[in-house]
Amino acid sequence: MSNNGLLQIHDPLKPKGHVVGIDLGTTHSLVASVSQGKPRCVPVDDGDSLLLPSVVHYGRDGGVVVGARARKLAADAPTDTIVSVKRFMGRGPDDPETRKLGAYRFVPGSQVVRFDVAGGQPVTPIEVSGEILRALKRRAEAHFSGKVEQAVITVPAYFDDAQRQATRDAGKLAGLEVLRLLNEPTAAALAYGLDKGSQGTFAVYDLGGGTFDISILKLEDGVFEVKSTGGDSALGGDDFDRAIATRVLQAMGAATPSPSQVAEAMSAARKAKEALTDVAEVTLTVGGHSQPVTRADFEAWIQPLVQKTGAVCRRALKDAGVAAGELDGVILVGGSTRVPAVRHFVAELFGREPLGDIDPDQVVALGAAVQASLLTDSNRQDEVLLLDVLPLSLGLETMGGIAEKLIPRNSTIPTAAAQVFTTFKDHQTGLDVHVVQGERELVEDNRSLARFTLSGIPPLAAGMARVEVRFQVDADGILSVTAKEQSTGAAQTITVKPSHGLTDEEIEKMLLDSIDYAEDDIQARQVREQQVEAERVLAEADRQLRENAALLEAGEPEAIQAAMARVREAAQGKNYLAVKEALHGLDEASRAFIERVMNRAITQVVSGHSVEEY
Amino acid sequence: MRTHFDVFGLPRSHAVDVPALEKQYRDLSLQLHPDRVAQGNARERLQALEGTTALNEAFKTLKDPVRRAFYLLKLHGIDLDREDAGAQKDMPLEFLEEVMTLREELDDAIAAKDLPRAQAMAKDVAGRKQAALTEAVSALQSLEAAGDSPDGVRKASHALGRVRYFTRFLEQVDAFEEEVLA
Repeated sequence: MSNNGLLQIHDPLKPKGHVVGIDLGTTHSLVASVSQGKPRCVPVDDGDSLLLPSVVHYGRDGGVVVGARARKLAADAPTDTIVSVKRFMGRGPDDPETRKLGAYRFVPGSQVVRFDVAGGQPVTPIEVSGEILRALKRRAEAHFSGKVEQAVITVPAYFDDAQRQATRDAGKLAGLEVLRLLNEPTAAALAYGLDKGSQGTFAVYDLGGGTFDISILKLEDGVFEVKSTGGDSALGGDDFDRAIATRVLQAMGAATPSPSQVAEAMSAARKAKEALTDVAEVTLTVGGHSQPVTRADFEAWIQPLVQKTGAVCRRALKDAGVAAGELDGVILVGGSTRVPAVRHFVAELFGREPLGDIDPDQVVALGAAVQASLLTDSNRQDEVLLLDVLPLSLGLETMGGIAEKLIPRNSTIPTAAAQVFTTFKDHQTGLDVHVVQGERELVEDNRSLARFTLSGIPPLAAGMARVEVRFQVDADGILSVTAKEQSTGAAQTITVKPSHGLTDEEIEKMLLDSIDYAEDDIQARQVREQQVEAERVLAEADRQLRENAALLEAGEPEAIQAAMARVREAAQGKNYLAVKEALHGLDEASRAFIERVMNRAITQVVSGHSVEEY
Repeated sequence: MRTHFDVFGLPRSHAVDVPALEKQYRDLSLQLHPDRVAQGNARERLQALEGTTALNEAFKTLKDPVRRAFYLLKLHGIDLDREDAGAQKDMPLEFLEEVMTLREELDDAIAAKDLPRAQAMAKDVAGRKQAALTEAVSALQSLEAAGDSPDGVRKASHALGRVRYFTRFLEQVDAFEEEVLA
């Protein structure tokens, strides 16, 4: 594990401000917080709206507008106004999803999607999402008149590793400590107040703007166990809009519509869809053309999309080992479940009327707020525990481009698996590993998560070197990989960075470039932060040296003391980089010692067994 | 080595009370889960991660009678999940014949897109799987009672080799079924 050094041991006494739950949605986003035991959404947009449209406009002057005002600018500046950015999270520029009907200009020649927008640098989906999160954070701070620093952010249960990492990075960019990525259906179930008293098996059908999720959950003794989950991270209400817009543009004879025609048609289609919930016929106007659309037309157009959710639901039920008739309730989530055709379909599929008494737009944010409160309020910890699952199988590429599954989908997380690789050539010192996620047989049909080379293998005869690669999935569903050569015991930690993600350096640079930092005196703030950090780390090091002196090896006390002295000296000055470097030096000098301390601590608690055994 | 049985404080036996195991799993999760120490220090969080990972693995293995039997055999020194396991090579001849016959019949059914035929085969094979599992469990139980014997281990290993094959066969029918229904 990479994060077991001294630097990561954080101070529980540091004040954290308000904790919030955030629903970072495809079409709109919400923030909620628990006060007096009840979760409530916070007004975040004009007119005290609880919904912030997930739209970010980049102006020519370099200004950034988020929300309803940005959406109004979409028709006039379609390429500078990013809507539904969630669809692009963790995806590459060549992904079919990226290429769907839309108005954007992409910067070519990059592994990462970059939107070419007005006002300066191209932006990545992570930065765009970061703007949405920052807007939510600021508006929540204004509402509370206090800092918001920690959040639970929801993701579709079906998000893969790359999409989860991208979401977590976006949170970081917005200056939020992401306590947990919570699956949206699980959040919804929490919001329904299915608490310690209640029990049963529930299905959560979540059709949002851009994603579809189904989860089967079982609640017993205060433990929420996700039994199975399934979905389609590229299916949602936007596709309904697109179905309308495509037909209308066709009827207008616009074979190759301009970006602004597309934006106008999409916007008209969305309004038509919403209106068709209550009326039987509407007329769309796009570019001066009028086009009538009946509810029957609309339902016929979206029927194949709705049917697609049915197959996914049946598989989730099967994976959970539950028949539709055994369910104790069906929960609807997501604005798209307002469409009558969707409601009818769900009622028929599960053979019962779904629950819908909490606003389907708010339910996910409310549940996220509940989880944020459960995670941070020590008085509430015994109420409910969530046990989530890995949505998609993790595997490795083997001979012939076959994906070999290592951790099957629907495994309860955290979970781990190990695989031993042997060399196939004499004196081979490196091994290529390709990690994929998905259910398909062939590597090329799954998502490619990462490729890396295990290096530093001792040069032995073919088949003699054995490298054990261990995959650990944490409670957020995010993967980390460690490798160990078994004959020499040489260990290596690989940070798995998704092929279409950003590196830590890029994230750090973006952080420094970001507006929140620009507003402060960056240098002073960084010096102050590093000084506080230095003080804390020195105190922790002192304590460890005192309490665990028995675990020190020859030479270590001197080396650690010397590194501590360097930190103290650097902390006197004004150069934050020097402090940072000294801290890293101390981390290095004490790493082996701290690892022994932690191993022993774990050994003591998990009754007589070392970390290596797991 | 700490076994999955140790995690739950259970004796090494195929006889597991699953509802009681589930209850214990929930109790242990409530104690160990990373969510319990979300505000804790790195050490506590790592502990929670490792502890819960081990707990989840143990629960997954023990709650399912098939996985449990394979695991017990592994504790007796034979790991059928490892591709290079020698035990697979010395499966009896009549089993190999059984495999070939089933294989051909299923290939025919799939080629003819004959789902009812494949489903009928699956029903028959599920029965054989259950019988083989029962055989394996009784072999494992006599090992528990009488201690390790090469003969007993071989018996369990052969029976579980069949279980494994039948499981894969049923998965193929499932995949075929999904393909046809999709």
